[in-house]
Amino acid sequence: MTKRVLLALLMLCSVWVSVSADTLPAEAGARADQALTVKTFQFKHKDADRAAAVIKPLMSSDGSLSIQPSTNSMVITDRAENLKSIAAALDKFDTPPQAFKLSVRLVSASRATAPARTPEALKDVSTKLTILPFNNFEVLGSAVLEGKEGEPGLLELETGYRADFKWGDYDAASDSVQIGDLKLSRLQGDQLTQLLKTTMNLKVGQTVVFGAGKPQGARALLLILAVKR
Amino acid sequence: MTCDKFRAQFVPGSADAAMLEHIRSCDVCLNFAVERDDDMLFRALGGDDMVPPGGIDAFVGDVMREVHLRGTENTVSGPAGSWTRRLAVAAALATVVAGSTFVYEHRTAPAIGVAVTHHQFRSAAYSRPVIQSYDSQKATIVEVPSEGEDVTVVMVFDDSLPADL
Repeated sequence: MTKRVLLALLMLCSVWVSVSADTLPAEAGARADQALTVKTFQFKHKDADRAAAVIKPLMSSDGSLSIQPSTNSMVITDRAENLKSIAAALDKFDTPPQAFKLSVRLVSASRATAPARTPEALKDVSTKLTILPFNNFEVLGSAVLEGKEGEPGLLELETGYRADFKWGDYDAASDSVQIGDLKLSRLQGDQLTQLLKTTMNLKVGQTVVFGAGKPQGARALLLILAVKR
Repeated sequence: MTCDKFRAQFVPGSADAAMLEHIRSCDVCLNFAVERDDDMLFRALGGDDMVPPGGIDAFVGDVMREVHLRGTENTVSGPAGSWTRRLAVAAALATVVAGSTFVYEHRTAPAIGVAVTHHQFRSAAYSRPVIQSYDSQKATIVEVPSEGEDVTVVMVFDDSLPADL
């Protein structure tokens, strides 16, 4: 009985050894793939320093990068497999400036005891407006702006509100455009008062309801934004 | 008992049944009592003494009989099942060895495939926050999750904003 058990164990050991021997070449191949490789990328249309944000999510913990502003290039050290993904992402990133359209609606929101009022012009977002702590909405103005990546954008409304910003980079991975340094101001008399300053990422085709107000405040300003090609 | 009477009569360490009964139903007085004596919470939770059905002696007897029976089972079944037990141990050992061999092989071979799949997933699921930055020291940004929806809502509550927006 003991001999049979020992024989079975010996056979299992031999199977183990043969399987381990088979896996060694695959392991060696994987190890070669883990080796760090250096590659230089030069940009034609975009700034190299802006590319860092695009590729950082794709880099491994062992990867590193350095930017050379004089040649507008970037040197990346990472595993060969990661460099393939990084090269593909940078190829999509370094494209000529793309044109977009930004639809803007400025809305005054308030909480009142009067019956709830949502204008017809906000019908497309009326369901989402119900989650906000306001029940009265008034459109202060709207416009559609066109621009390309890197260009300045300006919106001026008759109600005295003004928004200026910079069209940021388009990020292919998230299919979004950056609206950089968006400053919302209001003209009171001769004085232009800045209300807020923010940088936003707007997904192409998606509507964003951006509200700003004081905590527990009875009023807020809403910017309803949508970027399209 | 009224709240006023409770507060007038309360002394730390009190185990008076009427007082304990009162703080079981009055949160305000419970807080009042706990602030002065932490143990009042546990005294209030205690309630009636817990006695098992049939009394403590019957309960202890049941437990001891169970312990005795288990001991007897172990003594009797030991020598009779020895060769079957050894066989079971050998079979378990063989299963563990074979299983670990399979797992080892599975983890080593498709390493490249796993890495590629991971990047594809990360690339597809990658998204940037709507608000990348907001200039204020006193703001709270609330972004309502909207996966796959056409409309996203983001609200900034900022103390530095004027009230008459």
